[in-house]
Amino acid sequence: MLNRNPPPPPGQAPVAGAGGGPRRPTRQIRGPHSALTDFLASHNISANQIRQDAMARRAAALASQQDEGDGDENEDEGSTSSPLPELASTSSRRKKETKAQSEKRKKGEEKAIAKIKASKKFQRQKRMYGYDSDEDMSDEDEAARAIFEESMAPLPGQMENCELCDTRFTVTAYSRSGPDGGLLCLKCTKELDKEEGAARKKRKTAAGKQRRQLQSNLLDGIYPGAKGLVTLCVEALARNVDQAEDFGDLPAPLVDRLAAILSKKRLLNSTTFDLFLRPHNDTITVYDAAKLKSDDYIRIFQIVPKIKHLRLRNAIQFKNKVMDHLLATTVELETFSIHGANLIDDERWNNFLAKKGSHLKALKVYYTDGHFGDEQLELLPELCPGLERLKISHNQKVTDKGIAHIASLANLQHLSLELYKPTSTPPYVDILNSVGPTLRTLSLGTVSRIDDSVLEAIHENCQNLSKLRITGNEILTDKAFASLFTNWYNPPLAYIDLHKCRHIDATSPRENPDGIGLCSLGFEALMAHSGSTLKQLNIHSCRHISLESFETVFAPGKIYPELTKMNLSFCRNVNDFVVGCIFRACPNIKTLEVFGDFGVKDVRVPKGKILIGVPNAMGMQIEGTEQDEGRII
Amino acid sequence: MATSTNGPQGLSKCVTLVSSDGFEFVVLREAACKSGAIKRMLDPKSNFAESTTGRCVFEEINGIILEKVAEYFCYSYKNRNTEQVPDMEIPPELCLELLMAADYLDGEYEYCQLSGHLLTDY
Repeated sequence: MLNRNPPPPPGQAPVAGAGGGPRRPTRQIRGPHSALTDFLASHNISANQIRQDAMARRAAALASQQDEGDGDENEDEGSTSSPLPELASTSSRRKKETKAQSEKRKKGEEKAIAKIKASKKFQRQKRMYGYDSDEDMSDEDEAARAIFEESMAPLPGQMENCELCDTRFTVTAYSRSGPDGGLLCLKCTKELDKEEGAARKKRKTAAGKQRRQLQSNLLDGIYPGAKGLVTLCVEALARNVDQAEDFGDLPAPLVDRLAAILSKKRLLNSTTFDLFLRPHNDTITVYDAAKLKSDDYIRIFQIVPKIKHLRLRNAIQFKNKVMDHLLATTVELETFSIHGANLIDDERWNNFLAKKGSHLKALKVYYTDGHFGDEQLELLPELCPGLERLKISHNQKVTDKGIAHIASLANLQHLSLELYKPTSTPPYVDILNSVGPTLRTLSLGTVSRIDDSVLEAIHENCQNLSKLRITGNEILTDKAFASLFTNWYNPPLAYIDLHKCRHIDATSPRENPDGIGLCSLGFEALMAHSGSTLKQLNIHSCRHISLESFETVFAPGKIYPELTKMNLSFCRNVNDFVVGCIFRACPNIKTLEVFGDFGVKDVRVPKGKILIGVPNAMGMQIEGTEQDEGRII
Repeated sequence: MATSTNGPQGLSKCVTLVSSDGFEFVVLREAACKSGAIKRMLDPKSNFAESTTGRCVFEEINGIILEKVAEYFCYSYKNRNTEQVPDMEIPPELCLELLMAADYLDGEYEYCQLSGHLLTDY
């Protein structure tokens, strides 16, 4: 039995007399020696010799065990329950084993595989990848065998002979096993991968892709399951948009959906854009105009001279040339919303306001870099007296001085500002004192320096607000929020966004002694005031709202019938219980975001609702409700 | 017709959809009620003629389109409790007409199903 020559460990020179293999000339190249080896060598003891002896002893013990096994089959049943000694050897030995031995080995393997299949780890994996039907039975066997072979393979770093071509190579963690279970060298691995690789890889990734697509849809607010017929049609139409010649008399909301989906798929270019130029229409919305050229914009005014509402996003090529053309036409725009047009200079903006401003009811200017600043805002009250809606977003030029002019826009109903230059409190208070009573939307994004007097001004002046946004502030206090929503003359709001109104202190993040930001008092007052009509609520990063506060607000008996969307991310006190209460208190909620809320661990999500941001790899689990049978992603 | 098997409220389990060119499609009432318009037509409280006869005649929708609509009702009914549903095939040449019909039948838009976050806030 001892005629086998065990592969010597790497870096070890063969020693004369050990084993019957051919003698190789000893080389003087050696790896680093330990101090112990040196010490032993000085006393004429060889570490190699000790290792060789030990291996020989082990091999002898193994051989005698096998001899016993061959003699008595019944005893064998017990001894092979641990197949490990067998595992240490590999294919090189198999060539020499007798038939009986090979049978025995197979038996042992089967046993080990059965053991693996029964193990908890394997069951868990099985559930994860879902080998449940009969046709997957062979997959199951395959998977179990793979685990078994993995366990008996030589460890990385050892040398091994390739199963197919018998070349010697170093085993790495990536070494593949061949058809008979032995390991393969790099060359054979590549060949084998080529032969079967494509199919195998594809099958594995398909499930993962599907799961990711599902989670991606959830993030987009699309509930898993069959899509609506309208959605299916719009998607099919978007896929075949190159064949479409004309949308006919498609209703405007559908055209808008098509525009949205084409933009999302980046299919909107000069050719497809023609479909949206319908002469009798008064609205054009392009959600992603990045591929359109200046001439395409000019075509809008030529083909659709009656256009009233023009909304363009990523309209980079809407530049001076286009603006000049617009100024020369008789187009009377009521809504002009432009995003990313940073090639229109201030002079053109002045001309535009002077010539076309008198009809304007809504002006929205996003991302204009160094253009559209205080000067233009100064012109607005005089040139655009009818302006009802003004939005200036991601602007680098407007300062306090410009904002002050907004107070003179007598008809303003919707105001939305998000400026890069830091702004202060007084101009905002002025605006609220003059146009506050008629305002329906007030949106102040990233206003880090405004203080409580703005909230006071809102409380005193606003009577018609339905949308309120104040974000990214570190000065407003909880008390001020509470008094804003207490005894407020304004009817309940529909949309509130107070995200990132919180105290920041890197040294003691959990302390908030001065009650900065939206905390418990403010949150409770907010829900008491607006809960009955609130549709959307965003209070993400308002970290100091207490657990008790959430529990009181969403206590049994409280109902928020309109609430459909809520973002409670990074509110660290939100936990499973709070989320459960929310699903009970908000019967119409569609999406609830809980990113970074580590108290949310294992929560039952009723059917039809979406919970986004659960901190585990598998994402949301949907379960049944009182009406329908349960299902699980 | 399947009027013999009655549902809980004495309503027939199936309803008949009739196209402008006279084709008739019998579908499950529950499946057809996926459409807001049909649901309202068949609502016993509405007092429409359709609610008593269980026959909905669509003068604007032809047989080819209505067949696809009926197919969709079955598809969505069959997949009502499944997560991963392959999309139903829609031939490109029927897209526009089917879209008009779907728009008419649906009654209300599922705006939350627009392209998601891309469109919020604007």
